[in-house]
Amino acid sequence: MRRYHLVRRADSKFSRTLAFYAVGILVSLLIGAVILFALGIKPLDYYGKMFTIGLVGNRYGYKSIEGFLKIFVPLLITSLALSLSFKMRFWNIGGEGEFLIGAITASIIAFNSEGMPNFVTVLLMCLAAMISSGIIGIAIAALKVKFNTNETLMTLMINYIMLYVIRYIGETKADWNFFLREDSERPKFGTFPDSAVMTGIPIGQFKLLWSVIIAVVLTVIVYIYLKYTKQGYEISVVGDSSATAKYAGMSVGKIVLRTMFISSAMIGLAAALTVSASGTISDTVTNNVGWTGIIVAWLSKLSVPAVFVTSILISVLQYGCQAAATQYPAIDINYADLLQGLILFSVLVADFAANFKIVKKEEAKNA
Amino acid sequence: MLEVLTLFLFNIIVYNIPLLYGTTGEIMIEKSGSLNLGVEGTMAIGAVAGYLAGVKADNLLVAVLVSFIASGLVGLLFSFLTVTLQANQNVTGLTITTFGVAFYYFIGNALANSDGGWPRMNGTKLAEQAQALKIPLLSKIPFFGEAIFSHGILVYLGVIIAVLMWFYFNKTVPGLKLRAIGENPAAADSLGVNVTFYKYAHIIAGSGIMGIGGLYMGLNMGGTFEGSNCWINGYGWISIALVIFANWSPAKALLGTLVFGFFNTLRVQNAALAYAFPDALGWLTKIPSHFFSALPFIITLIVLIASSLSSKKKSGEPQAIGRNYYREDR
Amino acid sequence: MEYAIELKGITKSFGPVAANKNINLSLAKGEILALLGENGSGKTTLMNMLSGIYMPDSGSIFIDGKKVSINSPEDSGKLGIGMVHQHFKLVERFTALENIRIGMRDAGRFLHGADVRKKIEDTAAKFGFEIDLDKVVSNMAVSEKQTLEILKVLCYGAKIIILDEPTAVLTVQEIDRLFDVLRKMREEGHSIIIITHKLNEVMEISDRVAVLRHGEYIDTVVTKETNEKALTELMVGRKIELNIDCPVMEKTHPLLEIRDLTIKNDEGAVAIDHINFYIRGGEMLGVAGIAGSGQKELCEAIAGLRKIEEGQMIHEGESIVGMSPKKILEHGISMSFIPEDRLGMGLAPSLSITDNMILKNYNESKGIFVDRKTAREEAQKVIDRLEVVTPSTETPVRRLSGGNVQKVLLGREIKSGPNVLITAYPVRGLDINSSYTIYNILNEQKKKGVGILFVGEDLDVMLALCDKIMVICHGRLQGVVNSNHTTKEELGLMMTGTINIVNKDGKTDGIAKDSAFTDEEGKA
Repeated sequence: MRRYHLVRRADSKFSRTLAFYAVGILVSLLIGAVILFALGIKPLDYYGKMFTIGLVGNRYGYKSIEGFLKIFVPLLITSLALSLSFKMRFWNIGGEGEFLIGAITASIIAFNSEGMPNFVTVLLMCLAAMISSGIIGIAIAALKVKFNTNETLMTLMINYIMLYVIRYIGETKADWNFFLREDSERPKFGTFPDSAVMTGIPIGQFKLLWSVIIAVVLTVIVYIYLKYTKQGYEISVVGDSSATAKYAGMSVGKIVLRTMFISSAMIGLAAALTVSASGTISDTVTNNVGWTGIIVAWLSKLSVPAVFVTSILISVLQYGCQAAATQYPAIDINYADLLQGLILFSVLVADFAANFKIVKKEEAKNA
Repeated sequence: MLEVLTLFLFNIIVYNIPLLYGTTGEIMIEKSGSLNLGVEGTMAIGAVAGYLAGVKADNLLVAVLVSFIASGLVGLLFSFLTVTLQANQNVTGLTITTFGVAFYYFIGNALANSDGGWPRMNGTKLAEQAQALKIPLLSKIPFFGEAIFSHGILVYLGVIIAVLMWFYFNKTVPGLKLRAIGENPAAADSLGVNVTFYKYAHIIAGSGIMGIGGLYMGLNMGGTFEGSNCWINGYGWISIALVIFANWSPAKALLGTLVFGFFNTLRVQNAALAYAFPDALGWLTKIPSHFFSALPFIITLIVLIASSLSSKKKSGEPQAIGRNYYREDR
Repeated sequence: MEYAIELKGITKSFGPVAANKNINLSLAKGEILALLGENGSGKTTLMNMLSGIYMPDSGSIFIDGKKVSINSPEDSGKLGIGMVHQHFKLVERFTALENIRIGMRDAGRFLHGADVRKKIEDTAAKFGFEIDLDKVVSNMAVSEKQTLEILKVLCYGAKIIILDEPTAVLTVQEIDRLFDVLRKMREEGHSIIIITHKLNEVMEISDRVAVLRHGEYIDTVVTKETNEKALTELMVGRKIELNIDCPVMEKTHPLLEIRDLTIKNDEGAVAIDHINFYIRGGEMLGVAGIAGSGQKELCEAIAGLRKIEEGQMIHEGESIVGMSPKKILEHGISMSFIPEDRLGMGLAPSLSITDNMILKNYNESKGIFVDRKTAREEAQKVIDRLEVVTPSTETPVRRLSGGNVQKVLLGREIKSGPNVLITAYPVRGLDINSSYTIYNILNEQKKKGVGILFVGEDLDVMLALCDKIMVICHGRLQGVVNSNHTTKEELGLMMTGTINIVNKDGKTDGIAKDSAFTDEEGKA
């Protein structure tokens, strides 16, 4: 006879969830430490290097911050965007594809912007990227709304189709192809003219790019949007029960379309900011934010403040790995992905532990 | 001329059998009502584990078993998280892919940078065992014999798995029970079918089958590790697409593998075909290879949309797919 | 007496809610035991512990005198227990044969054995079932599905059979047939537990009656030695005022007029077939019919959630056909539909009471922000007025109990001050006290001059509460009767389509004399 069984907890305390999550992350770092140890590396030293992202004892520490922010900004915006659609229970896993579309359209403007004012060019890049990615988002949402086409699989396909589109652009020498450098025999992506490269506010040697400011402002806006506006309210009703939303007179289709447009357009914006900040495009421009963003959104339980914090954590992990690689050549960026996976797995376990409890079965006295 | 075509057909099979493994494995998992997006990662882990064990033991059987077990363990992880802990299937699957591919590179790089270097399979018994073996008599059939009946043993194993799986789903009681779970787990549960056990067993078995597909890719690449290119190279994702194309049927997966494989091979061999038949197929060289690479995904996208447009209820998609089952949910 | 089942001290809780408290119950061999109790009294939970869906927190179960532990439906099946659930557990895309095959033990590993089919056919013949084993479940009518469910457990050799509200979805004739089968099963030595809350059925079919109330075991009585009134007292615990108020109001002009309305259901079949009716202000019109006769589609069509095929819907002289749900709402037609799972439509379960209050009018406040301050005040008002039991206005509605959920829903509908209120199954799953609260709320609205369409299940309640009752059968109007001038039997016959009194005696049922329709519109 089974003496114990699991029961869903009736209440959910924030502090308990937080504590379980912390334990989960700690456990995954421990597993990571075992892996490092097996490779003959002192885990504490490595983690020290990784979590300080190469700041300590570095004369060019500001470079580390800049590098970290380059990873952080697209990840933050993409994760926010994905949370928006997940909140509606719309499984947009097409972050990669939407990002690539935005990156390509932004680059089209960038490569043809010689002589234009910087502000205008970057603004145009952002707008073009948002519209093009947004349209794809709308198209997918329309198919879902109209014909109930499976959006998970649709967006998945789009990711790969777009990947081959950008590879095609990057690997095809042709007269029309202004993406490529003219002075190179082999096909190679060119660099943007200065007019299309993101500027920022210099603070000493450090340059605070506008993209960072935009990302932070956007976080606040999304927070307010979801929590206080009518549209945010609509998203939570549709996500909770679309039958109820329809009954309440909401046009669910319109809301899904609108939210998917905003979600995809935000990813497009992230792409425009990314290519502008790096001054070029490549087929690895997404840095996998479309995938990582899903993990971030889920780790954060779709809460905006949590997305902000988790994005920092994951970016530290990724950039820290890169930074530490100078000293530990055996450990590359894949270690960050490995750790990321472990963290998600253990947090899933922690989440379960926070929501369920084990109950002991009692025998009745007269039995 | 004919040699070109024979070679073409041969290549369709030899390079795309991993799709069959990935697809049949995923079908088995999806039939139990779970959508596992971790095919790419599961294959990667099976590939690297199976290959390394195979080289070490210098034995193909060991390689196959280890790849099955290693990927099966990944399936166990997926089952534990989604079946027992009720975690979201999409997120868990995607994380398995991130994790699995990272694991592949991580192990590969660690070994490549170690003193011994990446273990090679050239000249080993393992390589010999994995080599093409010509089936007596059948391989003598003109044209088809060379193309179809002259492959490594893992090619035939893949086909056998697909056929057995079709039989299992449609002709046996456990297969019926499995399909019932994918359609309506509460109904199956009330009839005394152990839903948890069935889900675990089939997710693990399906993942294990994917792992053999991964191993095949590694062996087919001659076992060389490149720091920038994963053996699996997107085949896991194509497999997920192929499941839809095959309408969740292992038999149609065989056919679908050939169709997707056809485009895949066209990408590599368009020049050879154009050269052999300049008049009829000369135009092939004008089509960029990227188009052929994207074609499986484009086709699947169209199939997805088309099947949702037509209201026929004959779709083989399990009705309860993607949703977790918790008996006491009210 | 020899017992097939004995339950001793069974307790089961869901979170803080105790569904079963220290229950003792016994089922004699070869008897039909009716398990009686109001909705929410813990009947289904208790039975689900016998069928292995739930496990008791404490207590013990004896089968044939032996102590057992039932950890899964498999265990339950092996002990010879078979349960026919209220919501059928069938795989829609499988045939009847395949559905039976899933749970069949000791019948080999491969499908398509002729002996299996033979065995099933024999069992069916023995109990007088007529069933097409190769028919796919999704093409079956409700009664066919139930037949399949019963045949299923018989094929598995169950000796103890539990039926959870089997009559809820059946017509009178089908119920008779079901009872014949149950009697035959008793003759064959099966022991049967039947869950129901219809007293007449209890009196007709059972040998003994066990009564639960609020999750507690009350008593078991021999059917022959009791009567409906005594059972009701056991069930509700005290004498209840059986009279439901039906204030007679001065009826005003027709508010909502439906003419020649035809609607299709999700499968494209005709759900409502050329129906005429109207509701006046200060009037409550009941809609009676077997479950699934088109009630849901009718409500959805009036609320603008479903397209209509043909006909006219006029609200105060203005056509509402083709209007969006929102427009119709603004017109003053308000619908509260209680679907089977109670939270599916009408409320957003994870959202707070406050957020659910403004579901329909969040857009009326100015600006882009949601006005939660007013919403909170409104929520508080509803909580106070309808005595909703909740920790706070910010509690998600899914945490509330069924009765409180329904109060929140109805409170919101009334708050907007509609002049036509459509309410479907508003007391489904509620205890007597909560039901009366709901009836009072509705009557208050009626007194204010609101026209009410009451889609209900319990004929007694409808006869007492409604002014008029219209009966539909398979989407067709069977007649509109004054509740003072009809009987339950007449309604029952109309519901099953046995009699049709539309336009009898030269009347034109469902068309008001002072209709707002002009002649041309009426004909259209």
